Amino acid sequence: MSAKKKLNSKALTSKKHNRRRLLTLWRVVRYGTDSFVRNSWLSVAATAVMTITLLIIFTAFITQNILTDTINELQDKVNMSIYLKTDTSNKTGNELKSELSKLASVKSVKYISAEEARAQVAKDNGKNNDVLDALNQATNKIPATLKVIVVDINNTSELEKFVASNKLVKDYINPDYKPSFAGERRNTIKTIGRAVNFAQAVGLAAGIVFIVISSLIIFNTIRMAIFNRKEEIQMMKLIGADQSFIRGPFLIEAVIYGFIAAFIATGLGIWALYASSKTLISYQISVQPTIDLVTMYAPIVVLTMMGIGAVIGIISSLFATRRYLKL
Amino acid sequence: MILLDRVTKTYSKDSKPALDRVSLFIEPREFVILVGTSGAGKSTLFKLLTREEKPTSGKIVVGGIDYDTLKDNHIPMLRRKIGVVFQDFKLLPQRTVFENIAFALEIAGMTRHEIKSTVPKVIELVGLTGKEKQFPHQLAGGERQRVAIARAVVRQPKILIADEPTGNLDPRHSWDIIRLLEKINKYGTTVLLTTHNAEIVNKLKRRVITLEHGKITGDQAVGSYRQ
Repeated sequence: MSAKKKLNSKALTSKKHNRRRLLTLWRVVRYGTDSFVRNSWLSVAATAVMTITLLIIFTAFITQNILTDTINELQDKVNMSIYLKTDTSNKTGNELKSELSKLASVKSVKYISAEEARAQVAKDNGKNNDVLDALNQATNKIPATLKVIVVDINNTSELEKFVASNKLVKDYINPDYKPSFAGERRNTIKTIGRAVNFAQAVGLAAGIVFIVISSLIIFNTIRMAIFNRKEEIQMMKLIGADQSFIRGPFLIEAVIYGFIAAFIATGLGIWALYASSKTLISYQISVQPTIDLVTMYAPIVVLTMMGIGAVIGIISSLFATRRYLKL
Repeated sequence: MILLDRVTKTYSKDSKPALDRVSLFIEPREFVILVGTSGAGKSTLFKLLTREEKPTSGKIVVGGIDYDTLKDNHIPMLRRKIGVVFQDFKLLPQRTVFENIAFALEIAGMTRHEIKSTVPKVIELVGLTGKEKQFPHQLAGGERQRVAIARAVVRQPKILIADEPTGNLDPRHSWDIIRLLEKINKYGTTVLLTTHNAEIVNKLKRRVITLEHGKITGDQAVGSYRQ
């Protein structure tokens, strides 16, 4: 009987304790939202800075994405061509295509027979009668071509090795035309490869720098906002508020800045992306995949931005309040 | 009960002690006035009592709590047992009179029902009925100090520390505040008051402790202000 009573009393105490915790949590949230509303100017200023921060982060990610897509598209346009003898049969060509496709560094291979190449030249020069006459009268000397798209244009060693060692290639390679990655175009391809690497590195570095700078700015803004209220914190301490009760409302306020700023920044960012898309496309910049991605995953983008805003706000507030919370 | 036993507080090795071997005993329900010039050590003494500072040496016991054994995470609980009133009020500027007073109860985890029944009584005690919804900036100095006192006493602390509560007030409002402190003392709270106002000290006819250069130089049961 006594044990049962003890158990009941324990359960009651625990229930009471939990209720008190919930009550405290509710009060912390209420204090945070009240402060956000009542310190309206400070809230507007902090939210504006947070919006700029998140917009910079959004822009950095979008730019990086667009840059990667554009680079990938550019890489796909850089064909590594292997020229074969004009009399290479379709069977041999397709056999070589199949072997090349097995290489890890190769993304795709297209075989163009000498006949198809000649037809293409004729099509391209449809209005030039001299060229058409020459094509009709002369023997076809246009080589058959294996157009290879590699995964990374800076990595052609596997391809080069294949061309140098494969027996079938040795038998059918056109002695008059060197493969594009081994002949005169080699340097051009290498230059494009270096430019791609450089652009990616610069894009990433610029993104990181922008994110760090903007995070420092918002950290400083929140620090200033809390500095303005250090006497309030001091008073709360002296009348017996514990650390979580003092710190909690500041964290809630920072989360509210983050949430509102996330909505504004995402909206502005997507609008700017749409508004600038026509101009960007005219410069051959691959913007469509990014627009598709952002549109398809808009709720996830907003949630991620809210998460980033909340995390930046919470970390800034934790650091900023720490120095005033020493007992 | 407040007990200080040979308490010394030195802020840095090279400086003179802010408090030098101060021993003091204050009975429950006493009304004690602490006087002394600026830099005499009054603020340091208050900071030690509210545990904002730790003594360099000596023993402090307040309301049965020995500060030597007090853990850091129990400091908020200690402070909830001591009411504090400051010269500059230290109210929450964005909160109403009611909210400022209720804050002291909310941090202690009291329910909304308890708060709704307790706060109006204290507001009535300090004579601010009808001003519950006003913000501190809408109140006169004396009224703000009443809010601060209400906040300090709403949890019915055993000890009330009032650090120059009349320092920013005109004579009429100063006396209103002093009468209020006397009323609170009458209900059983130990009051420790500091003031520079000689008239208040002389007219109150209470125990007066004088601090000079960190040392107690006078302790009169019914004291007067010494220039």
